[in-house]
Amino acid sequence: MSPDSKTRTRKGGGTTRRRVLLVGAAGLAATAAGRRYLQNDEAGLRAEVFIAKQADYQGDISGTVLRGLREIGVDEAATKGKRILLKPNLVEPHPERTHVNTHPLFVRAVAEAFLRLGAAVVAVGEGQGHRRDSLLVLEDSGLLEVLQEDSLRFHDLNVDELKMVPNAGDHTQFKSLSFPGLFDSYDWIVSLPKMKTHHWAGATLSMKNLFGVMPGIVYGWPKTALHLQGIENSVVDIYATLQPHLAIVDGIVGMEGDGPIMGTAKQAGVIVVGRNFPAVDATCARIMGLRPETIPYLNIASGQLGPIRNANIKQLGEPYEAVRTDFELVGDIPAHQQLRLATS
Amino acid sequence: MIAALNDRLLPEGGFLTRPDGHYRCDATAWAILAAEAHGASTSELAPSRARLTSRQRTDGGLAIDADHGESLWPTPLAAMAWAGSSLSASSQRLAVRYLLESQGLHWDRVPESPIGHDTSIPGWAWTLGAHSFVEPTVLSLLALSRAGEAGHERAQQGAALLLDRQLSAGGWNYGNTLVFGQELVALPSTTGMALCALAGRVARDQVERSLNYLQVEAARIRTPLSLGWALAALDGFGERSDQADAWIEETLARQSVVGAFETSELALLLIGSAPQLSRRDVLGVFAS
Repeated sequence: MSPDSKTRTRKGGGTTRRRVLLVGAAGLAATAAGRRYLQNDEAGLRAEVFIAKQADYQGDISGTVLRGLREIGVDEAATKGKRILLKPNLVEPHPERTHVNTHPLFVRAVAEAFLRLGAAVVAVGEGQGHRRDSLLVLEDSGLLEVLQEDSLRFHDLNVDELKMVPNAGDHTQFKSLSFPGLFDSYDWIVSLPKMKTHHWAGATLSMKNLFGVMPGIVYGWPKTALHLQGIENSVVDIYATLQPHLAIVDGIVGMEGDGPIMGTAKQAGVIVVGRNFPAVDATCARIMGLRPETIPYLNIASGQLGPIRNANIKQLGEPYEAVRTDFELVGDIPAHQQLRLATS
Repeated sequence: MIAALNDRLLPEGGFLTRPDGHYRCDATAWAILAAEAHGASTSELAPSRARLTSRQRTDGGLAIDADHGESLWPTPLAAMAWAGSSLSASSQRLAVRYLLESQGLHWDRVPESPIGHDTSIPGWAWTLGAHSFVEPTVLSLLALSRAGEAGHERAQQGAALLLDRQLSAGGWNYGNTLVFGQELVALPSTTGMALCALAGRVARDQVERSLNYLQVEAARIRTPLSLGWALAALDGFGERSDQADAWIEETLARQSVVGAFETSELALLLIGSAPQLSRRDVLGVFAS
């Protein structure tokens, strides 16, 4: 089954999209009484998430990603002719700190996987949060070399022409959200986050990575207008409004401790693939040894935008328990309190 | 008009963000500054300055576009662009008044805060109601300098903010210094910006480590934004390299590989190749 038919889509809607919106509306009424996570059923939302081991960046990452995509139903029939925009995390590249960003070889491998499935176009876009100099960001991250060698086009999402969309979420005060207008020329938006702890948000994964689609010319650097609304509120509203299509997480080497910039490299050795971002991120959290329900944006998303309970997520590939490797938390960081997942 | 900007100039006034881009006010302001630095006449630039004026709010601010009224960070850029012509003097005055009356969100410093910088100093923000950051504060300081308001209390506050945000190891991050006890990394673009705004305001020893960092980075970097600010800053401190013009040429040549630069970045780089007095004047840089 293709992403278009099985999950929410930006174009053409779909029964599932309408269902989610209806579920969301129904869920809002329950918000006052507590988070939907407290409801075991999570409003009936279910998702599939694929986990694979991947020891390093020299192996066949493309093959692993391809297997994951097929496992969740993204095959040649679904992908043929599609225009696909990959959104890595290049938040603050530094030549000596490669674990801050999605690895350039990971981006290359994902592009290759989609092209092998018959995608018409694969391009890369980022609106990095901190550094204004996008060309230097590409150089310092090592991605420029990959883009040039593979003839992949890059879009600077911070400065593109703007397109306003009514805010489909209800957690910020924004009546509308502004996205890069070029999104209209792509069929799928694919989040390629780095698996990292985060000193304000607990963890940054496929949903938080969406801060980097928001244009800096509107929201500032580091997307200050979004921070003012609360990170978790903004993350949820962006996801609900944009409805991106796939998440493929670079968990080969992640970041633990004082992420998302100053933490240390963590060999996690995994790739995680899925269509429902809350489910993907909840799975990643468990792999990192974190309790998803204590990550605020996942708690909000639970039962409204996706499932985060393990029982409601069909795990494909490796079970998360087999690849769990606890990411170090920092005792002085409030967002890291209560995050640790109990050992089963 | 300088040739490099010709294909971005719109017949009705204003500049495209790229040769295949769209009109935007910040691109227009930067292009005006570059053209002015290279000797473009007032009449050549009048339609572009007028186009900026056409979107100025009654309070003097200029938003990125009509739909995003809270994104007022282009205001100082426009103020600098208007400064070059008596025809737009009233727009400049209004913009400067706006800058003097606006400030970023600030609050009393909290001793146990994980944030290391002094949150009580009012600078300027990217968007209405947000905290102050380095770049909007720098642009506002430069606009005030170009308007003859360098000594205003708000300008002094802005300079104090920049000094507070200087990293102990040298250089500036985009806005913070320490977070949860760790010092953030310096960035060449924000370091260049901050030093530009502080040139002529501080003694060299107050920013020596930052200048040393920037000297190294300027020799390494060939991107228009970071190199452009680095050269402007080093020029402001009388330390522009003899190789600066060659670095600019090398950077411009990269467009044949990486594509046309954004107008704002291209213009900044081009300002670096203008005569010294002109380039300092359009950016409001006081030489130390």
